Amino acid sequence: MSEPPPIPAPPRAAPAPSADKALHKLFLTLFLRGRSSRGLRKQGAPQSIGAKLGLVLLLYTGVGLISLAFIHQPVFVLSLYLHAMTLVFLGMFVAASSGELLFNKEEADILLHRPVTSKALLWAKIGVLVRVSLWLAGAFNLAGLFVGITSSDGGWLYPIAHALSTVLEALFCAGSVVVVYQLCLRWFGRERLDGLMTMAQVVVAVVAVMAGQIPQLIGHFSGKFTFSYHAWWVYFLPPAWFAGLDDLIAGSRPAISAILALVGVLATGAVLWLAFEKLAHDYETGLQNLGEAAAPKHRGGPRRRWLDTMAGRPPLRWWLRDPVSRASFLLVAAYLFRDRDVKLRVYPGLAPMLAWPVIMLVQNPGSAKPEGFSGFSGFMTAFTGIYIGIIPLLALDLLRYSQQWQAADLFRVAPTQGPGALCDGARRAVLLILTLPLLGALVLLARLFGSASFHLPLLLPGFIVLPIYAMFACLGGAAVPFSLPTEEAKSAGRGLKMMGVMMASGLLAMGATLAWNYGWFQWLLLIEAILAIGLYCSMRASVRSARWTSLE
Amino acid sequence: MICLQKLTKQFGSQIAVDALSLEIPAGQIVGFLGPNGAGKSTTLKMLTGILAPTSGTATICGFNLLDDMIEVKRRVGFVPESGAVFESLTGLEYLEMVAALYAIPSEAARARIRQFIAFFDLSFETLTDKLLGAYSKGMRRKVVITAALLHNPPVVFFDEPLDGLDANAAVGFKALIQTLAREGKTIVYSSHILDVVERVCDRVVIIDKGRLLVDGTPAELVAAHGSGTLEHLFTQLTGATELEKRAQDFAKTFRP
Repeated sequence: MSEPPPIPAPPRAAPAPSADKALHKLFLTLFLRGRSSRGLRKQGAPQSIGAKLGLVLLLYTGVGLISLAFIHQPVFVLSLYLHAMTLVFLGMFVAASSGELLFNKEEADILLHRPVTSKALLWAKIGVLVRVSLWLAGAFNLAGLFVGITSSDGGWLYPIAHALSTVLEALFCAGSVVVVYQLCLRWFGRERLDGLMTMAQVVVAVVAVMAGQIPQLIGHFSGKFTFSYHAWWVYFLPPAWFAGLDDLIAGSRPAISAILALVGVLATGAVLWLAFEKLAHDYETGLQNLGEAAAPKHRGGPRRRWLDTMAGRPPLRWWLRDPVSRASFLLVAAYLFRDRDVKLRVYPGLAPMLAWPVIMLVQNPGSAKPEGFSGFSGFMTAFTGIYIGIIPLLALDLLRYSQQWQAADLFRVAPTQGPGALCDGARRAVLLILTLPLLGALVLLARLFGSASFHLPLLLPGFIVLPIYAMFACLGGAAVPFSLPTEEAKSAGRGLKMMGVMMASGLLAMGATLAWNYGWFQWLLLIEAILAIGLYCSMRASVRSARWTSLE
Repeated sequence: MICLQKLTKQFGSQIAVDALSLEIPAGQIVGFLGPNGAGKSTTLKMLTGILAPTSGTATICGFNLLDDMIEVKRRVGFVPESGAVFESLTGLEYLEMVAALYAIPSEAARARIRQFIAFFDLSFETLTDKLLGAYSKGMRRKVVITAALLHNPPVVFFDEPLDGLDANAAVGFKALIQTLAREGKTIVYSSHILDVVERVCDRVVIIDKGRLLVDGTPAELVAAHGSGTLEHLFTQLTGATELEKRAQDFAKTFRP
């Protein structure tokens, strides 16, 4: 059988728009508008996320004003601070955004049969990540650029140098995340990609929050920031490399800065080479495998059986008597264990929140000392206990979003009075699967780092108020699981809600600590318990009486 | 035009496509049939570069799938069963993006898009103003079909293309693919609507469990197996027996 001669491709008459530009424009549009919409017109769409991004940029610009505290400091010190914080922000942003951007399941059917290489796809996606990263970095560093001009060894070259080093840092950050994914794909294969992506994002988010403590670790504030930046280990941190570049171009140009700058440039080059040359094939394989129909066989099975068995036996069977509530519980439990999209949103979303109480406990062991009188002795323990209420609140909020949100129309079609029972099942799943184990871990941490057993009762006010937080998320039937499109998850409102919760937690912790130190603690617990029961019952009645609202 | 050589796809221990070999000349419409899970969509996804074959290969328009993937992709159009689109783009933005990926100049792309929307009775305002997420299933399917044919490919793969199309659009579409085949395009048409396949396709290929069962013109196959219709032939070959009796028995279970 002879091979027929190749058929030429369809003619190309005039210059055409480049595929690379089209892909970049596509992914940027998708990033700004989100990936799905129901009943939207073009004019309404960009407001959904673009406007929120604008607010975020404004907020970053405000936070960047802290760099004014570095006026007249040396270039290296200022840059070290700016690059450390920029790396934290970019790390969190890239970790949160890259999973969905790099590995979107639906994309296979739309793009993989088009004549574009996986490298072009990867570059376009990274281009968008870097571009948005630079917007964030630009907003945060804006004040710092001018502060650099006033540096003791700086000058007018500083803004140019810092802009250059920030671009390098953004490339380094985005490239590093891609390399992590590619290595995961190469070493562990597609079957474990979902779990690894979740783990990678959790780790990056926690590391980013921890890294935010770098300025505190390497210096202290006493009217003016003072850094012990000559510590040898500082030079091993990526922010020091990029700060070295700033110092080399616009600062005092010591030899060590030249070495650090060289390391920064080489490290960025190496990361990009690994991401786009050496490991690009692994990305292509990952994309192709993502579209494979067959799921790994064994992973869902035993877990599913375990869940079914657990829900079918006392005491859970008694707790989940209502069939709708039970169905909702099983749905949420299954998604928390299995669904890539949900895991990527919930666990990395919760992890940084959990990092804070750990940091508080670790950094303030002294607050726990029972000797002598201090009105706020044990505050951190009390605050940590109350703060844990943020877990069910945030988890229930995040569990409302799913890529399969349209399937939730099923809940409305089913003969249920309202969303109450569904919210109830989701709430119970979150309490049992996420909150209870975390509470155990926290008690252990408080025991290890915080207060020893003397202050452990201070966790009780938090435990009493926990069901209220969980019920609060369900008010108005708002916690129907997987019923909203994922782009609505990128909401600035959640941040405000969490700030409110933190303030309320702080006030309650303050009251609990004062009661503890003045000897009224048992009375506080009694009053709190009575109030909590009353509030819980009325909130529960309100959730149960909630009715479906019309879908517009 | 299309030549499959022992094309195989395995997912772990499960063989989805088992050493499938076929040759399809230019200008032919081939109905690609099989029960659910037979390996049809997997085969089409391998031929369009979405999935990598485990072994074997294929050539399309003289280009090898493994060696010249991009050249293959330039010459094929694909309407996937999922009908997936980027929902937050307008129809026009989506089609212009697709045109750019095939290096079609903007003006030419716009002209082609206008021809398609006229054919499918879509309004240009809808295409420019509404996001694809707001389209009905049928409208979205029309956009996906347009996106598959925009670059005028010599080979087109359709996976359940009529899903969601209204009766008028379906009639128009069937006439369109017959005309395209007469003009030399090779069309692989995968569907479960067997009477449409029987009327539209020059040739029918039935696979099950990833293996080729029969290959020939509908009339030849029906005559050779004495099955009367393609539907009967399909059920006969794919092991579904006494379907009507089973349906009646099942329906009886709904009696109060």
